[in-house]
Amino acid sequence: MERRDGGGGGGGEDGRHASRNGSCERSPKKAKLLPVPPEPISGPELRSEFSHHQRGVARINNGSFGSCPGSVLAAHRDWLLRFLRQPDDFYFNSLRGGILRSRSLIGDLINADDVGEVSLVDNATTAAAIVLQQVGRGFAESRFAPGDAVLMFHCVFQAVKKSIQAYVASAGGSIVEVELPFPVSSDEEVIAAFRRGLERGKRNGRRVRLAIIDHITSMPSVLIPVKELVKICREEGVDQVFVDAAHAIGSVEVDVKEIGADFYVSNLHKWFFCPPSVAFLYCRKSSGLVSDMHHPVVTHEYGNGLPVESAWIGTRDYSSQLVVPAVFEFVKRFEGGIRGIIKRNHEQVVKMGRMLAESWGTNLGSPPEMCASMIMVGLPSRLCVFSGEDALRLRSYLRVNHGIEVPIHYQAPADGVDGPRDKDGSITGYARISHQVYNTEDDYFKFRDAINQLVENNLTCKMLLIE
Amino acid sequence: MASPKNHRHHLHPNGDHKTHVPKKPKLAAALITDSEVQSEFAHHDPSVARINNGSFGSCPASVVAAQQRWQLRFLRQPDHFYFNVLKQGILESRGVIKNLVNAEDVGEISIVDNATTAVAIVLQQIAWGFAEGRFAKGDVAVMLHYAYGAVKKSVEAYVTRAGGRVIEVQLPFPVSSKEEIVSEFRAALERGKVDGSKVRLAVIDHVTSMPSVVIPVKELVKICRQEGVDHVFVDAAHGIGCVDLDMKEIGADFYTSNLHKWFFCPPGVAFLYCRKSSGSLDLHHPVVSDEYGKGLAIESAWIGTRDYSAQLVVPSVLEFVNRFEGGIDGIKKRNHEAVVRMGEMLEEAWGTNLGCPPDMCGSMIMVGLPACLEISSYADTLKLRAHLRESFGIEVPIYYRSPKEGEVGPITGYARISHQVYNKEEDYHKFRDVIDKLVGNKFTCKLLHD
Repeated sequence: MERRDGGGGGGGEDGRHASRNGSCERSPKKAKLLPVPPEPISGPELRSEFSHHQRGVARINNGSFGSCPGSVLAAHRDWLLRFLRQPDDFYFNSLRGGILRSRSLIGDLINADDVGEVSLVDNATTAAAIVLQQVGRGFAESRFAPGDAVLMFHCVFQAVKKSIQAYVASAGGSIVEVELPFPVSSDEEVIAAFRRGLERGKRNGRRVRLAIIDHITSMPSVLIPVKELVKICREEGVDQVFVDAAHAIGSVEVDVKEIGADFYVSNLHKWFFCPPSVAFLYCRKSSGLVSDMHHPVVTHEYGNGLPVESAWIGTRDYSSQLVVPAVFEFVKRFEGGIRGIIKRNHEQVVKMGRMLAESWGTNLGSPPEMCASMIMVGLPSRLCVFSGEDALRLRSYLRVNHGIEVPIHYQAPADGVDGPRDKDGSITGYARISHQVYNTEDDYFKFRDAINQLVENNLTCKMLLIE
Repeated sequence: MASPKNHRHHLHPNGDHKTHVPKKPKLAAALITDSEVQSEFAHHDPSVARINNGSFGSCPASVVAAQQRWQLRFLRQPDHFYFNVLKQGILESRGVIKNLVNAEDVGEISIVDNATTAVAIVLQQIAWGFAEGRFAKGDVAVMLHYAYGAVKKSVEAYVTRAGGRVIEVQLPFPVSSKEEIVSEFRAALERGKVDGSKVRLAVIDHVTSMPSVVIPVKELVKICRQEGVDHVFVDAAHGIGCVDLDMKEIGADFYTSNLHKWFFCPPGVAFLYCRKSSGSLDLHHPVVSDEYGKGLAIESAWIGTRDYSAQLVVPSVLEFVNRFEGGIDGIKKRNHEAVVRMGEMLEEAWGTNLGCPPDMCGSMIMVGLPACLEISSYADTLKLRAHLRESFGIEVPIYYRSPKEGEVGPITGYARISHQVYNKEEDYHKFRDVIDKLVGNKFTCKLLHD
């Protein structure tokens, strides 16, 4: 059956992509060539798709750098070869149409009203720079008063924090950080903390010009009730709301209209099987901000709208943006498509998280409904994770000595609060485990056993020798 | 059977890497043969006379293979790659470039996607100068009238929007001597300093794009210093592999060149040189990451998760060019000689002219097209170019030159022909013959109008 070749075929033919709505109820003419497969992808096929992953590594950190199946990589190589074969022809006749196709598929997936609201950029870090430069111009051009505030969670991704400093603080804006409670036990805790932060933001008659809300925080990782927080922002007169959803697409359902933010960004290479790197930046048309959004790399497309500007930022390899149709084909090979993948990843990561917490006598950082495909699992207090350095040391040790890849988070105990404890002391270290389609339970058993062994041998982080 | 694979392209696996890259080309075991060269570029469309290396460059198969190996290394175990491999790999590439361009210090070399990005980086800082009041409203940026379209827009977005004034240096075309360019440049600087404004930035192309001419940058930089221009930025998108580059000799504050145009890298990679000296602007990559504030080179080496493989193959590319006699210098010399010879062949066949003397071109040259083709607008050039591509399999960009008043039978169209190692004389003969045929059939661009 032709389908087993990996379905992506370099995207050479038009129309080899999902119909609207990501399903195949109404097949466009050319999609007749690609019927939905009768059976979902098999175990051996799946293993083959990820056979380039290093053997012997329990790869339970899909969250950091994502993953890309072999058939999509083949399509990716095909796109680059098409360019190299005859780049002028590619530039004039293939590139724009290819990018537009990718944008349309994503627009449908996220329920955007209009493909004009969807731009493709390298990654969420780039999108943050674009949004923050726009806000920075508000200060520089005196549309915002000095001291007006930008609000964000204290655990916002470090790159975003730096970007805020570079573009907003330096232009006169003030920064208000919202402490994310962690461990957390309910949406209400997060909402309450956010409201408190917003109050502080509006103190002394300041305007809150921008709120940056993670859909899924990075470290520690928690699924945030974004819809509610966006609503609160609107009620409280926040000018612009930017949802940084780097992890979202492919790990939760995304409906940008429902969420109602002005800007929404998610990486496609983390949980949506794209090669590094590609992200979409959604800019709501009705927000009226789109015309002042610009890609910082200016070309002759300047002023033609962010989607068009981003689709040409000089000669480079746009293959990662062009393979999106091949990725849609890939996920269709799974039962339930991307929804099915989301559901099963979530169930498995919760199951594995519970298994680890039980074996170690520790806790989970959030309840199951506040996580997607990643969950924070408390590490035994006896490991003595007392700093960021300890956490990094433990991570390196696990990688080098045990072939386990998992990021470790240090959670400083909150003042005056009795934090979570195990039978030996305070739990201050958490592992962020991920589950993606290529993971097996053995990956997590390996991790369980390595930690138990450390505890048995009375080893703390500071004592770890890395080969 | 000798194949490119016999020459090991080592990827410097952990712990095994060259720390010193010699400036002079290493003598390869055997020089690359003609058939090996054809094999390296066998992925090019064989039906196309590809005489436009200048627009998008070219990349040999062995470098593409090296790039794929880097990509797979990342995909195999990305965390390990990020923590243990990436930074060192980028540093090695920067070291290779530093030696190639005669920079003082590897800290002066940053790697970015392309010259367009480098331009945005420099201009962003100029914009801050205005925003922070270090520059007065009306202070000037000078650039060439033939500056690349993207650069012009970037100047508009960053300088004009911030309150700066832009002065364009008018250049004659066709041009017959460096002196013509130098005197126009001086005149533009004078205009810039009128009313006591300061010239904060001069953007000077090393090789203009359309029409393509090699600019006497060394002389112009000297004039800038004499006339008190704050910062000089040389845009050498076509630089490395096309003209001689020597950072110390040229003496600019900032210098950028693409590596995928004439230095066989995959798309897209360029370097931005920032001279280590006091008074230099503090440059930043616009995509801010957690490396912000550690210097442009470090910032540019991590702008979030993406594919850095085009930047990492630079050592492999050096190995490739060293398989040619004389390395990159030899390639440059032979490309220049060939493109001049082909240009002269074409102008003679068509009875037209060249856009500049041979000593003002690198690996590209402008050749006048017969006036009877009636190329009368920029739109005509695009249509003619598409017609040549689609009907005849010839890829060559065309430039429209407005006729001067009183000119009789003016030549208004120029083809910018390139020569790179994969080109053959047949490519240019094909072009010559197609144009002769069009002329013979009384073809004009009017026929391409709807």
